[in-house]
Amino acid sequence: MRNRKLKTILLSTAALFAVAAVAISTGPVIAGKAAAPVAGSADTLATKYPIKHLVIVFNENRSFDHYFGTYPNALNVDGEPAFKAAKNTQTDINNLLSNPALLDQNPNLNSANGSVAANPFRLDRTQANTADQNHNYTSEQKAYDGGKNDLFPLDTGSGTSGGAGAFGTKAQVMGYFDGNTVTAIWNYAQNYAMSDNAWTDDFGPSTPGAVDMFAGTTNGAKVPAGFTASTVADGQGGLTLTNDTDPAGDVCSSKTAQVQMTSKNIGDLLNAANIPWGSFVGGFNLKTINPNGSTGCSRSTVGQVVGTEGDYVPHHIWFQYYASTANPTHARPTSTKAIGYTTVPGTKKVDPANHGYDLDDFFTAVGSGNFPAVSFIKMQSYQDAHPGNSDPLDEQTGLVNLVNFLQQQPDWDSTAIIVDYDDSDGWYDHASAPITQPSFSSQDALNGAGLCGAVGATEPAGVNGLPVAGRCGPGTRTPFLVISPYAKKNYVSHVLISQASIPQFIEDNWLNGQRIGGGSFDATTGSIADMFNFNKKNSVALILDPSTGTVDDKTKNKN
Amino acid sequence: MFNRTIVWFLGAGLLAGAVFAAEPKGLLPGENPNPVHLIRPRVQPLSAMAKLGKDLFFDTSLSSSGKVACASCHSPDHAYGPPNDGPVMLGGPHLTSEGARAVPSLTYLEQQPEFSIGPDDPLNENVNMAQQATIGKTAARAEKLATQTAQTANIVPQGGLFWDGRANTLQGQASGPLLDPHEMDGGSMEIVAEKLRKAYPEKFTGLFGPHILRDSKLLVAEAMFAIGRYQVEELSFHPFTSKYDYWLEGKARLSEAEMRGLRLFNDPDKANCAGCHTAQPSKDGYPPHFTDFQYEALGVPRNVAIDYNKDPNYFDLGVCGPIRKDLAAQTQFCGMFKTPTLRNTAVRHAFFHNGVFHSLQQVMDFYDFRDTNPDKVYPVGADGKVEKYNDIPAKYQANVDVADPPFNRHPGETPAMTAQDEADIIAFLQTLTDGYKPEQQSQPGTN
Repeated sequence: MRNRKLKTILLSTAALFAVAAVAISTGPVIAGKAAAPVAGSADTLATKYPIKHLVIVFNENRSFDHYFGTYPNALNVDGEPAFKAAKNTQTDINNLLSNPALLDQNPNLNSANGSVAANPFRLDRTQANTADQNHNYTSEQKAYDGGKNDLFPLDTGSGTSGGAGAFGTKAQVMGYFDGNTVTAIWNYAQNYAMSDNAWTDDFGPSTPGAVDMFAGTTNGAKVPAGFTASTVADGQGGLTLTNDTDPAGDVCSSKTAQVQMTSKNIGDLLNAANIPWGSFVGGFNLKTINPNGSTGCSRSTVGQVVGTEGDYVPHHIWFQYYASTANPTHARPTSTKAIGYTTVPGTKKVDPANHGYDLDDFFTAVGSGNFPAVSFIKMQSYQDAHPGNSDPLDEQTGLVNLVNFLQQQPDWDSTAIIVDYDDSDGWYDHASAPITQPSFSSQDALNGAGLCGAVGATEPAGVNGLPVAGRCGPGTRTPFLVISPYAKKNYVSHVLISQASIPQFIEDNWLNGQRIGGGSFDATTGSIADMFNFNKKNSVALILDPSTGTVDDKTKNKN
Repeated sequence: MFNRTIVWFLGAGLLAGAVFAAEPKGLLPGENPNPVHLIRPRVQPLSAMAKLGKDLFFDTSLSSSGKVACASCHSPDHAYGPPNDGPVMLGGPHLTSEGARAVPSLTYLEQQPEFSIGPDDPLNENVNMAQQATIGKTAARAEKLATQTAQTANIVPQGGLFWDGRANTLQGQASGPLLDPHEMDGGSMEIVAEKLRKAYPEKFTGLFGPHILRDSKLLVAEAMFAIGRYQVEELSFHPFTSKYDYWLEGKARLSEAEMRGLRLFNDPDKANCAGCHTAQPSKDGYPPHFTDFQYEALGVPRNVAIDYNKDPNYFDLGVCGPIRKDLAAQTQFCGMFKTPTLRNTAVRHAFFHNGVFHSLQQVMDFYDFRDTNPDKVYPVGADGKVEKYNDIPAKYQANVDVADPPFNRHPGETPAMTAQDEADIIAFLQTLTDGYKPEQQSQPGTN
């Protein structure tokens, strides 16, 4: 049975190739055939570390305690995928289990939360489909309450429902999953490395998280004439983006609210150095027709748990916010070979896709031997983990299929996968980081009205080098995993890192430590290098079952 | 008319990957010329959560009388609808208290979207219900026709559970009857929690850890979720085993009457039922739910047989109240009730929200004669005038649907359907009852 399941995964990957091959209308298609690396390909580039391919899976809206609160202990309910921790699992993990009073006498029991005051509680696998919590810039600061983390039910607990079968209580924001639900992610943590000290760079929802991961700053927002956007005055005559807004010019964006970001980003640096990179987004190819007949901006897919959801969500897509990296019409690459490159290989012709592709293109390109140096991945929305339109089980299927696929590539030996989240969704987390990037705008509330950080502290520099408001952080704590042959095995790092640690790692590995500048947090945040041991390689693949997240027997024996 | 039906099903067949010639050869009478493959829910063993939910669904001890469980009114033997012949069910401490509305079936709710005010836009995460409702006051309304492939974006309420959509989740729905003094009359969350603690301690701690027994609110919330989870996982709540499902798949043949009924059901000039009660499988093969999940004000007659209506000033107006509280100001929705699934409708004895009709024949007569011969549907007052829409106050009667056929006719005009038409549609509705065994009937009946 196990072997048969594995075969199914491979078959479904082959099917993806077929779909993608049809969707690319021009240029030669070399899907399914391993091609020799072309000149200037990622494999031949000089790097600081033995990582030639970095794949960033940027998922949505989960806090660290929400996924790892009782790690490595699962309740192991009858009939659910069981989880048993390795004996050498660290016991110094900063979660609820290592602070047991938080489970019984949680600060969120305080009366300020009113009738919804609650202790943390386990969410069952049958409750994977939850309501979405409130995760605005101001609401999250109020819930963190100056570092007391005691006002979650009051300030972020008002969720919207997720469908007829969803679970919801007013105190649901205090819920956490365990290894019976987020089984694959716990198994990856057992076999690779994760952080218990990873943060969003700023408080707030998806869009600020996406641009922080790509550019290290939310400052330099510009609102096109005739549109509105969720920004705050930065105190220097400019704007900082604090909440969700669609990217300017994207044909799928809202017709009333759009924003453009004017800072530099990591894509600009990679382009200047001719390093092949791409963003691969579920639902991005507007020409693809899904099995249910949907196409264009409203392509949709039926999830196992959440039902039918639109694939493409404009306000999650980092590169669309910048004039230099946008692909506003979702133009297609001229060929599979062109994927990752600014110009069509062998010519001076600029490729219309401008490094922005569909997720299908990732499987096609990598499967054909064209594996970019840096690949940013956004799953189609039913698999992006965002409560309300996704859930941990659909997320698991998407993630495991991707990781299984990459582990079977010839380049796995030099690949690292980062799994990070764009925000916490407002889910409860007990930890708070000292504010190193204060902000004193009308939208700040962590330490009282208009205050985030100690009075008199200096706000971080914005795109013009002067202190700006609206960038308060570190914000909320999220899961952060590194899956790679060079990841330390069953290791939990305590080094403080953030979303901007991703561009920082890219810069360290490929760009001799060059920084984005303009107040980007890539220069000041911590390094993820602690999660690697570049002197020790574990090439044995860890193939997981995409629906249960459990270890495939075949690889278990080898391990 | 026959050709139109054929064309429609050819479309469905194409999308399912089967391509047939325009005039299929060797087709037996009543056979679907273009069978599709239907995607049904996966058969899986019940989870521990669903098993707990099953216990609770049948547990009468949670009611004040000790005699009413969820299953009493949502009887598994009656498609999880009411087992009695009356308009409403009885509950309360002595089983003498009437409920306010006919008991809806609990089948086919697993895909029910959450309550919203249209148009439906899954990409918009920030729907403001009040704003949408305001747009709806002025927006032009598109007719709903059975032949439309996609519904025009009317600004109307859609989704949600109960007749008025006031709950979004099965969990939220379950606590309604549990605490309603006219139904299970469970008393309070604290009383229910105490009963659960005593009856199911190991089951709750096994699923939620030992803390659960100390938190009454969470204990009851989890119990309600478990009931909903039972409804999601237990296949008999959504089996998709009607004769029509098998006919869609080419595994059953419709009788002549059933086939005529299906055509009338889909015919926008006749019954136009499919305008709201969607009969078409989705393009990727999910079986039809026989509802568009939206709300309509149809103006069914007042049911004087139920206790609530003994008060002449009491009007059950659905979405705008009085049971639902949050949309009272949105008076353009007064009189609107959810369009229920028609699956298993033939096993019911109480139709519409007030249970005013007791047979499908009465229901079809209502659709047929409401506008051409209202005297056949509504009582005649002392002044000799027909009291049309007598269950909706005059100021809200403009909300009633007079646009969608067959409701677009006028007094004296020919009704949309003949008596034979009605009988044929009723024959078709019988094919929507679950539990059909395709292998047992290889020859179709004639009528």
